[in-house]
Amino acid sequence: MSESLDKLQNRILSDAKLKADEIVRDAGAKADQVLSEARQKAQKEADETTAKAKLEAEAIRRSILSSKVRANRLKILEEKNRIVQEVVLTVENRLAGIAGSSQFDEAAQRFITEAVNAVDSDQPVIRLGFKDAAKKDLDGVSKMVPKGAKLVFEQDPIDGLGGVVASDPEGRVIFSNSFRSRLERFDSKLLTLISATIFGE
Amino acid sequence: MEKGLSGIDAVKKIVETEGQARRIVDDAKTRAQQMISKAYQEADMLRQEATSSAQKQREEILRDARENAESEARQSDVETQQLLANYRKLAEARKDDAANKAVELVLTA
Repeated sequence: MSESLDKLQNRILSDAKLKADEIVRDAGAKADQVLSEARQKAQKEADETTAKAKLEAEAIRRSILSSKVRANRLKILEEKNRIVQEVVLTVENRLAGIAGSSQFDEAAQRFITEAVNAVDSDQPVIRLGFKDAAKKDLDGVSKMVPKGAKLVFEQDPIDGLGGVVASDPEGRVIFSNSFRSRLERFDSKLLTLISATIFGE
Repeated sequence: MEKGLSGIDAVKKIVETEGQARRIVDDAKTRAQQMISKAYQEADMLRQEATSSAQKQREEILRDARENAESEARQSDVETQQLLANYRKLAEARKDDAANKAVELVLTA
C-alpha cells in the first residue's frame, strides 16, 4: 500500500509539474506572440507615418516652390513688359516728332491715301495734325490730296501724337489714321516685333 | 517506515500532495500571468518607442523638405535676378533697333 501511495504521490506531483510546465510554455508562447504582433503593428504604424510624412513633405515642397516660381515668373514678365513699354514710349516720341524728318512726306501721303480709300467718298474731309509741323512740311502734303477733298490742318497733333483722320462730308464714316490708332491696330504685331528684337523670342 | 500508515494517514498524505501539486500549478499560473503582463508592458513600450521614433523621423523628413525647398527657392531667386540682369543688358543693347523697327512698322504697314 505504501509503495502504491508513493507512486500515487509521485504521479500527482509529476502531473502537476507537467501541467505547470505546459502553463509556463503556453504563457511564453503567448508572450512571444504579443511581442511579435506589437513589433509588426509598430513597424506598420511607423511605415504609415513615414509614407504620410513623405506626402506632406512633397506638398510642403510644392507649396514653397510653386509660389516662388510663380512670383519669379511674374517678376520676369513685369520686367519684360516694362522694357517693351519703354520702347513703345520711345516709338511714340519718335512718331510724334516725325514732322521734321525725311520720312514725313511719304508717311503722310500713305496715311492720307489709306484713310481716303477707307472712307470711300468723292469729297472726303481730311484732317491733319502733327506736332511741330511747319507750314512747308504740310504744303508738300497738301499737293498730294485727291481732287474734291477738303484738307483741314489742325493746330494740335491728332490723338496727342499726330496723324490723319478722314471722313465723308457728313462725318458719318470716319477713318482714323492717327499714330495712336495705328499703334492700337498694330499693337499685337508691335509687341511681338519689339519682344523678338530685344529678347530674341 | 510507512508500512504502518493507517488509511487516514494515507488520505492525509494524498491531500498534502494534492495541495503541493496545486501550489505547483498555481505558481506556474502566477508566473505565466507575470510573463504575459511583462510581454504586454514590453509591447506597449515597444510601440511607444516606435511611435516616438517615427514621429522624429517625420519631423526630420518635413524639416529636410522645407529646407531643401527653401534652398531651391533661393536658387530660383538667384537665377531670376541673373535673368533680369540679362534682359536689361539686352534691352540696353537692342532697344534702339527695336524702336526703329517698330516706327517702320507703324509708318509702312
